[in-house]
Amino acid sequence: MSTSIDLLSFSPPPSSMLSRTQFSFTHKPTFLLSSKKESFFTLRASAADNGAGVSAPAVTVEEPKVREASEGPTESNGAVEAPEVKAVNKFEDPKWVNGTWDLKQFQKNGQTDWDAVIDAEARRRKWLENNPESSSNDDPVIFDTSIVPWWAWIKRFHLPEAELLNGRAAMIGFFMAYLVDSLTGVGLVDQMSNFFCKTLLFVAVVGVLLIRKNEDIETLKKLLEETTFYDKQWQATWQDETTSGTKKE
Amino acid sequence: MASMALKSFTGLRQSPQEQQHPHFIAQALPRQQKFRVSAAKTSPKLTNRNLRVAVIGGGPAGGAAAETLAQNGVETFLIERKLDNCKPCGGAIPLCMVGEFDLPLDIIDRKVTKMKMISPSNVAVDIGQTLKPHEYIGMVRREVLDAYLRERAEKNGASVINGLFMKMDLPRNFEQPYVLYYTEYDGTKGGVGEKRTLEVDAVIGADGANSRVAKSINAGDYDYAIAFQERVKIPDEKMVYYENLAEMYVGDDVSPDFYGWVFPKCDHVAVGTGTVTHKGDIKKFQLATRNRAKDKILGGKIIRVEAHPIPEHPRPRRLSGRVALVGDAAGYVTKCSGEGIYFAAKSGRMCAEAIIEGSENGTRMIDEGDLRKYLEKWDKTYWPTYKVLDVLQKVFYRSNPAREAFVEMCADEYVQKMTFDSYLYKRVVPGNPLEDLKLAVNTIGSLVRANALRREMDKLTI
Repeated sequence: MSTSIDLLSFSPPPSSMLSRTQFSFTHKPTFLLSSKKESFFTLRASAADNGAGVSAPAVTVEEPKVREASEGPTESNGAVEAPEVKAVNKFEDPKWVNGTWDLKQFQKNGQTDWDAVIDAEARRRKWLENNPESSSNDDPVIFDTSIVPWWAWIKRFHLPEAELLNGRAAMIGFFMAYLVDSLTGVGLVDQMSNFFCKTLLFVAVVGVLLIRKNEDIETLKKLLEETTFYDKQWQATWQDETTSGTKKE
Repeated sequence: MASMALKSFTGLRQSPQEQQHPHFIAQALPRQQKFRVSAAKTSPKLTNRNLRVAVIGGGPAGGAAAETLAQNGVETFLIERKLDNCKPCGGAIPLCMVGEFDLPLDIIDRKVTKMKMISPSNVAVDIGQTLKPHEYIGMVRREVLDAYLRERAEKNGASVINGLFMKMDLPRNFEQPYVLYYTEYDGTKGGVGEKRTLEVDAVIGADGANSRVAKSINAGDYDYAIAFQERVKIPDEKMVYYENLAEMYVGDDVSPDFYGWVFPKCDHVAVGTGTVTHKGDIKKFQLATRNRAKDKILGGKIIRVEAHPIPEHPRPRRLSGRVALVGDAAGYVTKCSGEGIYFAAKSGRMCAEAIIEGSENGTRMIDEGDLRKYLEKWDKTYWPTYKVLDVLQKVFYRSNPAREAFVEMCADEYVQKMTFDSYLYKRVVPGNPLEDLKLAVNTIGSLVRANALRREMDKLTI
């Protein structure tokens, strides 16, 4: 049951996506055209691109090389060229064999200790996040989280919470049944065959799953805002149309 | 004046550029000015001449629009500032574009039949096993494609002008024409160019993200992503791997809200990345992309560096009076995949078709109502596509766990088939409900697992 919540509340609040709604970064695209190319775009390419009518493509080809020559060593720009700079930038673990966790090494009492596998993979991903690794075709990663059976995930991530959620759902359900009964006089048994009451039950369950903490309300609100944000941009033309459409009559 | 330098199109009267326009001084934009919106059939028939339309910008959108217009009896002027411009662009075109726009096969440099999707934890998934033998994603060089479309427009009767569009004067009433100001270059290198004006009845703005047409009709701004790309010439033995394979890297290191790519070009690869939210860090992301592809592009020489803004959503106004925006200028780039060439060409053609229909093959004046038909049709046809890709991007590009789940999802054959079908043919084939359900369950499973791991990762300190 806990699945749907996870889908909606991606654990780290995705600040990047949410903040996009504000136009904080929106300087006009035309800025690129304007002469002040102060930022990182000291690129010849964009200059050539903006160059009106004529420009010598030969220059464009030459320039980056110069840049690379001058900046290369300082910026480790030579990543393409200098293989010996970072040779050990690879995740290493005795249990990580040929691109997967060697399950034989995770045996405990004759059975695979899935908890340990999850721990190990979490550690690996954490490590990779800080040290992004070059992909390689000779040494592919074949570990897939789906080989960990579902009950291992449930046991680990859902059970500690299950008690709380079930208890909360039961209490809300009971209270709502009582409320409906007292307001309408429809008894508990009759409520079960009533469409409205079924809907109410559904809302209660979903609500319990979605709103686990107070912050979740805020998150959900933001999500809703975000999903409809660009609709306004599309609609702008249409709304414009209806206003002018009324004008024309 | 301009007409003297233009190749005149026999059978059509040359436009009356001789008159001067001293009193059309551009002032504050007459935004509120609205044309009488009426059905085209009642609009005045043009005497002595055909409808004149200027297309600003000679990319796929402009080229396609000019071709369609010229084919159908409209006097067309295509203004392009740089005829050999090679715009920084991934250059992928879907299969259906080849057929719909009748492109010759020799402008396609490479036929990509394999895609590799690489997750933050370097799980690589091969996409493309479901492709049928004749199916591929075409990789073109923009300078080639654009020039081809322009030449075809010219062959059909459009006048191609090598000039930089400066601004235009909007007409004060329905009878007056639009007056475009542009600097014409005669082709000599380093030439200063000559200032000219051109009078037209309608304008199609196909001049890309920094559109001056959009500015002059007050179309409003859009959020844009910045795409950064390096063309890398890699050794031949490495190039073999990229023969018909494109790579996509996802991860926070590569881009917080898009993907990094290695696309094969004619004789080199393009390594790039894009972002909306962290534009200032683009160099860091580019470095990370290079690092992720390190072994495969080792020893490469960077022959060109380029960057370009990519619109994120349509402009608030894509139309005003007899001026319509198409392509990047209007903001027609999909999210998630960042595809724009096909949509640009298609929107150009659709807009041109609306003009032709409204003007009855160039014999009548058009008005805003005719151009609105283009927008209406466009939105009805493609809005769902944009929406779906927007949602996909929001769900799957938002965090590393989501990206892991995305890559896991892409390993599924059904997903690949659906993706390629909708990408290559630009039509949504209704899927198999059972498979859809299975897919939904699997995807949610992947997301849950990845997020569970993420929670575990947050507890860790290394």
